[in-house]
Amino acid sequence: MDNENTVKYAIECKGITKTFGSVVANDNIELTVKYGEILALLGENGSGKTTLMNMLSGIYHQDKGTIYIGGEEANINSPVDAMSLGIGMIHQHFKLVEVFSAGDNIILGTEKKKMKPKALKEEIRNISKNLGLEIDPDKKIYNMSVSEKQTVEILKVIYRGAKILILDEPTAVLTPQETEKLFALLRKMKEQGCAIIIITHKLNEVMAISDRVTILRKGKSIDTVNTSETNEKHLTELMVGRPVSLEIERNEVENKEKILKIVDLTVMKGDGTKALDDISFNIKTGEILGVAGVAGSGQKELCETIAGLMPAKQGAILYKKENIIGKSPSEIIKLGISMSFVPEDRLGMGLVASMGMVDNMLLKSYKDKKGFFVDRKPARELAKKLKDKLKVVTPSIDTPVRLMSGGNVQKVLLGREIESNPNLLITAYPVRGLDINSSYTIYDLLNEQKEKGVAVIFIGEDLDVLLELSDRIMVLCHGKITGIVDARKTTKEEIGILMTGGTIGEEEEND
Amino acid sequence: MTNQAVQKSKEPFARIVKKSEMSGKNVAILRIMAFLLAIVAGGVFILCIGENPFAVYGAIISGAFRSVMAFQGTVKIMIPLLITSLGVTLAFKMKFWNIGAEGQIIMGAIFASYFALFHDTLNHTLLIFAMFIAGIIGGGLWGLIPAFFKSKFDTNETLFTLMLNYIALHIVSYLRDGPWMDPGSQGYSKIATFSKNAMLDRVMGVHIGWIIAIILTVFVFIYIKYTKQGYEISVVGESHETARYAGMNVKLITLRTMFLSGAICGIAGMVQATGSDKTLTTAVAGGVGFTAIIVAWLAQLNPVMIFIISFLFSVLEKGSSVLQSSYGLSTDCADVLQGIILFFVLGCELFVRYKFVFRKKGGA
Amino acid sequence: MKKFLGITLALVMALSAFTGCSSSSSTNEANDNNTTVETEGGSEGVMPAIAKEDIKIGVIHISNPAEGSGYTYTHDQGIVAMQKEIGLDDSQIIRKNDVADDDPTAIETAMLECIEEGCNVIFATSWGYMDTCELLAEEYPDVIFSHGTGYKSNGKNFNNYFGRIYQSRYLTGIAAGLKTETDKIGYVAAWGKDNSEVTGGANAFAMGVNAVNPDAKVYVKTTNSWFDPEGEKQAADALIAEGCDVIGQHCDTPNPQLAAEAAGVYGVGYNSDMSKDAPKAVLTSTIWNWGAYYTYAVQSIIDGKWTGENYFGGIHEGLVDLAPLADFCAEGTVEKIEEEKARIESGEWDVFTGPIETNTGEVIDAEGKGLDDATITGGINWYFKNIVEK
Repeated sequence: MDNENTVKYAIECKGITKTFGSVVANDNIELTVKYGEILALLGENGSGKTTLMNMLSGIYHQDKGTIYIGGEEANINSPVDAMSLGIGMIHQHFKLVEVFSAGDNIILGTEKKKMKPKALKEEIRNISKNLGLEIDPDKKIYNMSVSEKQTVEILKVIYRGAKILILDEPTAVLTPQETEKLFALLRKMKEQGCAIIIITHKLNEVMAISDRVTILRKGKSIDTVNTSETNEKHLTELMVGRPVSLEIERNEVENKEKILKIVDLTVMKGDGTKALDDISFNIKTGEILGVAGVAGSGQKELCETIAGLMPAKQGAILYKKENIIGKSPSEIIKLGISMSFVPEDRLGMGLVASMGMVDNMLLKSYKDKKGFFVDRKPARELAKKLKDKLKVVTPSIDTPVRLMSGGNVQKVLLGREIESNPNLLITAYPVRGLDINSSYTIYDLLNEQKEKGVAVIFIGEDLDVLLELSDRIMVLCHGKITGIVDARKTTKEEIGILMTGGTIGEEEEND
Repeated sequence: MTNQAVQKSKEPFARIVKKSEMSGKNVAILRIMAFLLAIVAGGVFILCIGENPFAVYGAIISGAFRSVMAFQGTVKIMIPLLITSLGVTLAFKMKFWNIGAEGQIIMGAIFASYFALFHDTLNHTLLIFAMFIAGIIGGGLWGLIPAFFKSKFDTNETLFTLMLNYIALHIVSYLRDGPWMDPGSQGYSKIATFSKNAMLDRVMGVHIGWIIAIILTVFVFIYIKYTKQGYEISVVGESHETARYAGMNVKLITLRTMFLSGAICGIAGMVQATGSDKTLTTAVAGGVGFTAIIVAWLAQLNPVMIFIISFLFSVLEKGSSVLQSSYGLSTDCADVLQGIILFFVLGCELFVRYKFVFRKKGGA
Repeated sequence: MKKFLGITLALVMALSAFTGCSSSSSTNEANDNNTTVETEGGSEGVMPAIAKEDIKIGVIHISNPAEGSGYTYTHDQGIVAMQKEIGLDDSQIIRKNDVADDDPTAIETAMLECIEEGCNVIFATSWGYMDTCELLAEEYPDVIFSHGTGYKSNGKNFNNYFGRIYQSRYLTGIAAGLKTETDKIGYVAAWGKDNSEVTGGANAFAMGVNAVNPDAKVYVKTTNSWFDPEGEKQAADALIAEGCDVIGQHCDTPNPQLAAEAAGVYGVGYNSDMSKDAPKAVLTSTIWNWGAYYTYAVQSIIDGKWTGENYFGGIHEGLVDLAPLADFCAEGTVEKIEEEKARIESGEWDVFTGPIETNTGEVIDAEGKGLDDATITGGINWYFKNIVEK
């Protein structure tokens, strides 16, 4: 780069290309960030955001293209290189040592380890104070909330002198209030001259925090726009590639009947703590009950207990007035209760990664036929039907599902559950990691079920979606129900308060 | 900002980069290439010790095939290897790391030997049948023990099965030196040769173990591919969570599969003791339980491939033994050759999943 | 039990058949268990003669002759001597080395490969090959199986060959008895009391010690294996720690002698002349001269005089001997050994002639008739009076 540029960019990426085998994750990407600027990197899942950031932080190395840091060409071969260039990355999954204190985690792996503990704590306190943060350097990580852990991560990179901060979906694990706090911190850092890249697919956050937005689509950098000159709709179009409607329909179903009633249910975790603490609620046919809550508030345990995978300590689960606690998972499946949980790695429970669609169709039904042998014929037909109906993209119905994209995998999972004609459909994070189009396909499927008279429990992350899709929203916090509210009347803020354990005036009585 | 120092650092010479999934055909080509490379590398080794590689390879092939008798010898080596590989495959399919095939073979052999030694007056067919069942039970029990502890206390099955090997081995030593010592051996520790009645019959010059092995190959193929239990094994192997989710009884499946895995290894032990050794010795397993693990993995747990690969192994083994007498090469040289071939073939698995990217010349 | 009796009976009969014939060739026997081997003429062969050019010999070894000492080396030296004596071509001998003798399948594979390559005579040199020989002899009646150091035979194409190694052990015991200063002599034995071959050998050694040094004790330690390099070394070390200053052995590796040398004490080797391995320690070695048998056997096959009977040679036949004495042997050793050797060689006296006192106070062969061969090969389950079991 000859010095024609008068603006010295913190980061300038030129023609970055990275392939994984036949997949082109990044294709000739151009990106710039200035000091004292927040850039949002917007794109759907699989558009190459994380790959690009991993190259900046030295985890991968680009196949083609050049990265300039502070105007000079840089060769980033390892995270250590990235750090010494002043680049700090905050990963989606925290990289902290749980049994160490915050202070220990912050200095871990730095050169200045010979410092006296007292002086060190003082330094950490100073840094936090400058940024308006409250952190106790002696507190152990395992005693911290998600938001505190994130703060430690941020302090960690600042302590190492990072002037360029990359945050990978930092708000995914935060409540709306915590998000607001994080944004305040980011703004402060920006004022102090840091360059910040925030990766997200939440449009409202992009609008709230960023100065400019770079949009990636299918590995290519589509456009960079000034936040002040754009709006959510425009950004969506750039991200998806065509205009989309962002409305979820919500119909009212007649003749609701109570199908599931949970009474005083307490469930213990493996470590002896309460996963679900004396919860009671009910759900009717033709209704979508949304479940909101910070990750790890007992959602998984709720799903698993109803499905018979986890024992209950106290209470009852009355399904059509019959207590199903103590029944085996297969008996519960036969009753018409279907559960599909999409975990963070997306495959986990519910699908067998190395098997194709056909064999995955068999998962819950292989025992239906008598005899020693498996009958794959109906499964094959079902797989074909789903492939056509849900437009599942796969080379063949025998291709292992791990080779399919996340959206398609989830279509297969949910499709199978729906095809089993359940009376009660429990689905957790069904749109996790999906692009907008796929997400809407899933919402439609759930609405279709509701209209058919199925009771749907929908556990979600995105409050906007929960508010639009659900009939009622139940909020979990630390295994307790902090409120069940009418989705048509409540607000996001109200749910946010409930998620952190607060109470609001009018709480709907169970029963 | 201190980027000057780092800036100078060069791109590393080579990086390992993940590949996209290869097609089955390409994987096959890669493996064949690895095998050819192994042959070449082995040839260099032979050249280094002053022999003609072509002649030596020729000797290996002819040693395994040159006569009916040679071929029978090859088949005899293949029988226990094939059966045991099939046995461990069931456990591996379930991602249960059964390193205890060796012990399961031995236990199968011990149980079968009990009938061979003390009930050899039974009707021949009945006796063979009894020994067969005893082999199944012996091996099966030895497989069941680690499975029980795994499902009950979540013990580490790799260590557990490995340790059980030694226990089985020492049980044979104990029986040999004590209760089962050949009374006619004048104080030498050995177990008597079985009576004719307790030896497996021969068909086409080789004991009927080969028929059992073929039947088992077909059985395991069908079991894995077309039965509900086989389907359950695959699901449990993928994830216990998923299996429970689908309403499977994971404990039961683990126990059942490990019994079956051990039982098949036990059959190998019974066949080896009554068909080939005609007595019970500490060498009845002779490392087959470990070789079988390699065979099963190379074959990607596919019974048909297991059949082919255990045959290739047997050819190498039998051919190497002839090599020793006709070339005066020590058996250790043959072992080195086998090692070289294995190194390449196993090493190529890295290239199925990864590739190397080299620094571009003059770049940056 | 029946089987055991049967085998013993067969053995006795076979041996008495030898003795019957031997009277014609041997000069004078006070004890007719002395020279039992028919060395020339006599009975008709039971197998067709094989011309010298057509003979092809397979040798099965438990380890590798290239080791240069020990059991396998000694046997192979015998094969080499036979080849030279008879004049066979290199291509007429196939060796299968490192054939584990506790793995019947490996043994069978090795022997079948020999047969496949055209062998019509198989020498199986290790004890554990016995049962496989027996089975294959039946399956391949045209192939002669000659098995070393065992006790089975079929009187046709499967025999056993062994020797009166105890005679040599007795003589080496003299060297040990004269040399010891602590009056403690160690003996590393492969097997315990149940094994007649090893126990008899230890007794003969101890009797040799006793003949020159009645005060000395022999400490016997067993390894429970013919071939256990580590165990043999450990046993010798333990005995040396006990105060033994001469280490005898009945096991396959020279490790006990190496241990003796390392500790600065003395020893008596076995199988081959172990002064090659431990020149500063080895007084002498009990050695086999298997060539004597191999030459005899192959010649009788060529002559059509193979009888399929068991062979049990001693000092007289040249099958067993002792290695040249080291110059650091005690004074008078040479003379004493010469004297005793002459007595045995002539047949005037043999080692196991009573009355023999055991270490439990019993008396064996009170009448002084001498033990018969069946007892020597299979019935010595007691220890001589100066033996201490460790």
